[in-house]
Amino acid sequence: MSGIYSLRDADRSVKLAAVLFMLVLGYAYIFAFFMVKQYAGLTPADVATTYVPRKVEASSLPQRSSSTTQALDLSTMKQEHHRVDTQLLIQDSHIHIMIYAMIAALQTLVILGLGWSAGFRDLVILLAFGSGALDFAGQWLMKGGIGGFAWLTIASGWLMTLVYVVVLIGTLRAVFGNNRKRDAAAGA
Amino acid sequence: MGRRAGVATLAILLPLVAGAAEHITPTVVLRKRADVIRSTLPDASQFFLKTVQIGRQDLSRIEQTADFKPEDSRVKFYYGQNGSGSLVGVVLFPQVNTQHGPFEVGLTLGPDGTIRDVAPTKATVETKPWVEKAVRTGFLDDFKGLSTGEMPDRALQALRSADIGDMPTFAGEELAEAVQHGLALYQVLYAGSRSGSAN
Repeated sequence: MSGIYSLRDADRSVKLAAVLFMLVLGYAYIFAFFMVKQYAGLTPADVATTYVPRKVEASSLPQRSSSTTQALDLSTMKQEHHRVDTQLLIQDSHIHIMIYAMIAALQTLVILGLGWSAGFRDLVILLAFGSGALDFAGQWLMKGGIGGFAWLTIASGWLMTLVYVVVLIGTLRAVFGNNRKRDAAAGA
Repeated sequence: MGRRAGVATLAILLPLVAGAAEHITPTVVLRKRADVIRSTLPDASQFFLKTVQIGRQDLSRIEQTADFKPEDSRVKFYYGQNGSGSLVGVVLFPQVNTQHGPFEVGLTLGPDGTIRDVAPTKATVETKPWVEKAVRTGFLDDFKGLSTGEMPDRALQALRSADIGDMPTFAGEELAEAVQHGLALYQVLYAGSRSGSAN
């Protein structure tokens, strides 16, 4: 059952670091949510608009240009939808995939002390690393023109959130949970 | 920690952090498009948006004129008219994409097709200080009066002689490239359409 160490029995400083890491990570995720909502949107259609390129291939264009004109009210004019082009996605990928790996590794350090079964522990570790990888896999597949993969990026976000919440609850239970039952069982 | 507390934590956190993935480098809006249009076309009393869907003929002309291929097949032109219906000017927002993110300018042209104003409108957190440093050299003023086909040699010379460092100079050159792209789009898709190309 046990991992590399027991967070429940660890030094107070270790517990403090684990709890604060998880809470501050959640704090950062809240702002990440607002950033994504503002710049990419939360629906598959909005996410696809952000990443799927509008390719300009001569073969798919009409022979002659055409245009439409409409009156414009500047006071209600909306900003253009944020778009992530290939160059920007390269930059995003090289930074964020590395950060995802670091966060997953730090969460793993906490997971190893939660006393979970080996199978469950490995599953959560796998999901912690995999969700970040799937996030960018979805973005690159969309960049390849496959808008349907917006669901993969959105689903990986939910997966990352699920991992976070599971580890947070495990951490809080280990640190603040009632140890009397366990101590009584150990004493009996 | 009881089950109830765990469920409450889930209920609060799940919706809030669900969008934490799908990480993106946000762009920084230096000036809103509406503000650029309003301030550079002060004599306009009514505004219009003309959206041009590029055709094969015009795509070929754009590639020949400015040696670039637009990344979007639809180009938007914002123009203003005065009280008597005369054209006051046209604004478009060409963008150059780089590994450091997009550089977008608000390019305003007068009725004669010459540049009236160039204003950076979009950068990133990383590139914003470079753009600001480049703009402070005043090189964007040297674009005024230029029209399609005229090289912005004086502007680029002013930028490069300002000794502002490699990255601000790079940012300035990207802004200049965006202007060149904008001039080509204007010439082919807007000015050209008035003689019958786009309809």
